[in-house]
Amino acid sequence: MSIVRAAEVVVLLCTVYIALGLAFAPFFVWRGVGRIDPAARSAGFGFRLIILPGVAALWPVLLRRWLAGRRPPSERNAHRDAAASRAGQASA
Amino acid sequence: MSAEYQAVLWNRNKKLYDLTIAAGVVVFLGLFVGIGVATRTQATIETLLIRGFGAGALLLLHVVLAIGPLCRLDPRFLPLLYNRRHLGVCTFLLALAHGGFSILQFHGLGVLNPLVSVLASNGNYDSLSQFPFQALGLLALVILFLLAATSHDFWLANLTAPVWKSLHMVVYVAYGLILAHVALGSLQAPERPTALAVLLGIGFAGIASLHLVAGWRERAPAPDAAAGHSAVDVCAVSDIPLDRARIFLLADERVAVFRYRAEGGERIAAVSNVCQHQNGPLGEGRVVDGCITCPWHGYQYRPEDGCSPPPFTETIPTFSVRVERDRVLVDPRPNPPGTHAEPARLGTASGAGEPS
Repeated sequence: MSIVRAAEVVVLLCTVYIALGLAFAPFFVWRGVGRIDPAARSAGFGFRLIILPGVAALWPVLLRRWLAGRRPPSERNAHRDAAASRAGQASA
Repeated sequence: MSAEYQAVLWNRNKKLYDLTIAAGVVVFLGLFVGIGVATRTQATIETLLIRGFGAGALLLLHVVLAIGPLCRLDPRFLPLLYNRRHLGVCTFLLALAHGGFSILQFHGLGVLNPLVSVLASNGNYDSLSQFPFQALGLLALVILFLLAATSHDFWLANLTAPVWKSLHMVVYVAYGLILAHVALGSLQAPERPTALAVLLGIGFAGIASLHLVAGWRERAPAPDAAAGHSAVDVCAVSDIPLDRARIFLLADERVAVFRYRAEGGERIAAVSNVCQHQNGPLGEGRVVDGCITCPWHGYQYRPEDGCSPPPFTETIPTFSVRVERDRVLVDPRPNPPGTHAEPARLGTASGAGEPS
């Protein structure tokens, strides 16, 4: 495959990915964002506009969470994991 | 904090910060183009602007990367950290202007799609010295976009701080790509500007040295926390400055042990050192109005239960503490985030170490 052909394939794949993201992003910031994050439910237009480029870029992650109806995930680190394990042992 | 998202939580300091960035960028570009017009008579204004935007982005990226270690070494740099995300977004905008104008000027008039042209116009992917530097710049621009686009707190909450931080550590990959982009661009230019190579070397050495020194200084002491110990002797009461903390490594993560003023005397409480917002180092902050205050962005937690004051909802793990014979003993088993752990009471005299 020539370099031009390879470059065309890369650019085409990126264009398709971004086009899907740009189609998804307005729907998500309008309806979806409040479903996955309660703190966004009554957020204003400025907030929705400012997250739009990121939504277009990371749309598969957000689409999956929106479809699954998930809330923001819990943060994990050594202390939180140890505390959760301890709480689990106590309740068992 | 987490009550409800806004586009930007503006306050006087942020406005001042952003005005300073904007003024600095305008002055830098003015000087760069002005000096260029005066000294490089053959260069067009478009070329000078492209180089000015690129140089500005590179300079700002050095500032962004230097702020973290500088704050570790000297808390007087903390005000720079407060709004660093806006500095990062500005870096991306300058890089976008540089990349956009470059693509328009050098790739916009051919028969190929301009982005295909950027990737394919120089096919020397198997050569080190002739490697297509523009492709490296394009990849760095994509990374900077991703970082700027995910800089809002919404992304912190929805990716979680550890994932968000890992994503934003990719800035170092972008930095490496940009260094290679500039170095190869200079190497392949007819005039081979040596001054630029020297400046790049100084910049890289400065950033690398700052990170190494800050990393060395940041090592937290690990007290003797053998398995089975219900409490670990971490330090003397007087080792902890009033309304501040000392940091220790317990349960594979840093713990911040605070001594602070409270009604009826002083108290000692221990919490996980990791702020839920951007994983800032809580132990480097202070107790303000009865709350542990993160030095990075001012997120607050009550020392006794690790909860942010209402209406905010962040919580961090707490640790049980007690004081015996002026020594601070910390149970190394973290309590679940937001769990009340009775602080050790010290009485009224500053530094007094009465048993709790």
